[in-house]
Parts: sequence; C-alpha cells; structure tokens
Amino acid sequence: MPKLVLKFGDSVLKELQVGRKEVSIGRSPNNGLVIDNPAVSNRHARVFSQDEHLMLEDFGSLNGTFVNGQRVKSTSLNPGDAVTIGKHTILVEGTHELDGFAVWTPRTKPLPVAPQINETIMLDTKERREFVQKLAAEGERSQLAPGRQKLATLVVIKGKTDQREYTLTDKLTVIGKSSMATVKLLGWFAPKAAAQINRRDDNSHYIGAAGRLPKVNGKPVKRPVKLETGDVIEVAGIKLEFHYRD
Amino acid sequence: MEFGARSEVGRIRRNNEDSFAVSREMNLFVVSDGMGGQASGEIASRLAVDTVLAHCSGSGSNSTSPFVGERIAGVSDSSNRLASAIRSANLAIQQAAHESAAKQGMGATIVAVRCEAERMSVANVGDSRAYRLRDNQLEQLTRDHSLVAEQVRHGDMTEEEGSASELQNVLLRGLGIEAEVEVDVTDELLIEGDVILLCTDGLTHEVPDGQIESILRSASDAQQAADQLVDAANQAGGRDNITAIVVRPFSQRPGAFSGAGRLGKWLRSLANQS
Repeated sequence: MPKLVLKFGDSVLKELQVGRKEVSIGRSPNNGLVIDNPAVSNRHARVFSQDEHLMLEDFGSLNGTFVNGQRVKSTSLNPGDAVTIGKHTILVEGTHELDGFAVWTPRTKPLPVAPQINETIMLDTKERREFVQKLAAEGERSQLAPGRQKLATLVVIKGKTDQREYTLTDKLTVIGKSSMATVKLLGWFAPKAAAQINRRDDNSHYIGAAGRLPKVNGKPVKRPVKLETGDVIEVAGIKLEFHYRD
Repeated sequence: MEFGARSEVGRIRRNNEDSFAVSREMNLFVVSDGMGGQASGEIASRLAVDTVLAHCSGSGSNSTSPFVGERIAGVSDSSNRLASAIRSANLAIQQAAHESAAKQGMGATIVAVRCEAERMSVANVGDSRAYRLRDNQLEQLTRDHSLVAEQVRHGDMTEEEGSASELQNVLLRGLGIEAEVEVDVTDELLIEGDVILLCTDGLTHEVPDGQIESILRSASDAQQAADQLVDAANQAGGRDNITAIVVRPFSQRPGAFSGAGRLGKWLRSLANQS
C-alpha cells in the first residue's frame, strides 16, 4: 500500500497509508494531511486513486505543489517521488502489492530531481490580509505609534536658520545649506548638508548624520536615532528642539 | 557616478531568477527577484525591471507614461514617478500571468533607486534591499515586506529569532500577485562618500550585515565590491541566486577627469552643477 511521509527538514512529522479514500492536504484542520504553515493554502492539494493509479492534484494553490522540483497541477505519483509544499516534503513510499489497487505509473519522461530550497513564497492573499489587519489593530491599541496623527516640528533655539520653526511634512528633512535642505543654515561656513531626519511609515522620526555628527540630548549620533518629543538636537552650530504636536 | 553589478545563479539553483537593469542616462538602478514554477520566475523579474526602466524613461519626472496609482504625499515627483513605474510593473506581470497557465502564480520583488544630483529616490516591494554606507556605517534604507520582518518590527520576535526563522522567505508583498500593490518609496540625501547597494535575498540570507559593511568599506571600486559580495554569498553556501549592484554616486569613473587635484575638482564641480 502506498504511504505518504510528511517531513520538515530531517524530521518526520507524520506517516499516512493511502487506501482508496482520497487524502486532502492543506493548512485547515479538516484535511487528511494537515500542514500547519502560512505558506500552505487551506485546501492545497489532494492524493487519490484513479484508474488504479495514485494521483496528485494541486487545487490552484498560491505557492504551488512541486514533484521532484517541478511545479505540477496534476500528476501520477511513483515510489521515491518527493512532493514539496511550502517548506514541507511529502515522500511517496511503499508498494502496491498488498492492496492491489494502486499501480505505480511508469512515467514516459522522468521528472528532474531538483529540490526547491529556500524558494521565495507569497503568503496567501486572505491570510496576508488577516495578518496585516491584526498588526494594524494591535498597533493602534498599543503605544507603538505615539505620533501617528501628530505633526513633527523643529523649533530653533540657537543658531542662524531661515525660519524659527519648521513643520516636518516630508519623508526626508535635510539640515544644511543645500537647495534640498528644509532647515536652511545661513552661516557663512555652514555645510551643504549636516544631518537628516527620516519619517518612517508609522510616523516615527529618525535623525542621522549627513556630513556632520549630530548630537541628541548631548549624545553623538553614530547610527540613526529615534526622536522623542522634547529631544534637543545640536549640529553645525545650531540647536533645535523636536516636538510632536496635535 | 560609478557603479558595478553582478548576478549569479549560486551553487544550488539551476536557473537565475534574479534580474537587474541599469540606466546610465537616468542614473536608475533596479534589482528584482522572481518567483514561480518552471521558467516563470525569470520572466517575472525581467518584466519587472524592463517595465520600470521603460516607465521612467522620457525626461525625468515628466515621463510620457501615464501615472499609475495615487500620489504619495511628502516625497518628490521623481519618487512618485518611481512608485508609479513599480505599480506599472505589477500590472505587467499580472497580465502576463493571466495569459498563460505556465506563468500562473509568478511574481517578483523589486528594489529601485534613482539618483538626481544630491537627491535619491528609493522604492521597494518584497525583500530585496537597498543599503547605504556612510561614514563607514552600513544602514538598511528599505524595510522588508516579509512575515518575519513584520513580526520583528512588531516586537513579536527578536532580530536573532527572525534570522533563524524557517519562514524567512515568506513575503507579504510582491509584484504580480494582486491588481494593486503598496509600494514603499522615499527620498534620500546623497553626500560625498556615500555608497549604495541594491541586492536580492540571496546575498542577505548568506552574508551578515557586518561582512557586507566591511566589503563595501574596503573594496577599491564599485565593481570589485559587487564581485566580492557575490563571492562571499557563494562561499557561505550560495543557496539562492545572488545579485548586487554597488553605486558610488560621487565617485569618478577611472579616466574621467583623470587630472585629479585642484583642476579636476573644479571641473567636477562644474559637471555636477550642470
């Protein structure tokens, strides 16, 4: 009787004899062979007997079903075949003698053996939406995005700049003399660029060096540092205070 | 502007499903990692980079191609144009996938940068990355749209757990999957000495950031840096296709203004202004 051996890496997770009854494979628990992995569709594929042959059919899954490295829609199975679904492998083993039903099909063209290693896969559309929504909901409840609806501002407390206060509406804010600079330095010896502030998608702001080493609350910034309301920035002879405002 | 690029199949795979493209005219650099059965991954990544190039060509942000998607506030026109080009690549892959059964389910990641004087647009979908080396410090400019990266950002997993995870290659966003795709895009500042790296996960899954940093620091030119990065990934296992483009925006190509010193500097400053 044919046997399916579910493996993850080197470890065997499950062995299953295949009789005349169809074996469905998928992520949801009502499948005959459950593979609990986000890359696997709820109903992913099935193994069944047809005209005395053992067959494998993919239900149009997003990330596909592979036999010996080739993506398949439907194919017959032979002993020694390796079926890959996501990161899991199902080995086809056993003989047909005992039951006398499943005749291993001689394949006219042998399939190439090329295991799918580290194949990049997409999360199922539905699964992805649920995951992203879950994260967004949790993000709103927690304090992860303190400045979500707030405007970031810089107030000049020392030094020569073209304005006394700046509202940071762009994703990139440059401090310097350059034409790209939002915070324009006016001094004769002011550098073209001194520092930059990047706004990330959660409306957090990070300051980093851009020619000069800025200090935040007196500490030099070697790698980009997240700004909090009330932080004092010193760079190229000017002093700024960072605030989130409603 | 000086750049070097290399793309290799690695030591396990039989096909190279990565594609890259460079336009000297536009100072545009694009890397894409394809996915899908049979040869469709290669087709998807090729289509992705070609569509981005075609969409951006024309004169700067006044490209003749119609704008795709909604404008993003707070970024430059060039960055918006780059995001539009990537949305257009998404549609192109989807359309091609619908046309033949063999291409069904194909998709691609993308990372693209475009330099205009001191400004650089950076855009990405998926887990191909852009990095910048500045003052000898490496910084990742893009964020990965992967299950693991999202969980790390969210605090459900530490960075160490993330890089050991079996699910590293599960993506949350990709080109060609749905009719609409969310593109991350931002402006960046370029200053003298900056080195930019675009790469696929075949590099970053094999070579830790610290080693990438030291290669970018020590390589004598951009091509040597790209070669050394790909070699390092192969030495570490080469389990996936590996692609790296290294750009040194303010570096002179050998031969250009070779009379260095004060005169060369002055000529360069004229060239940069025009």
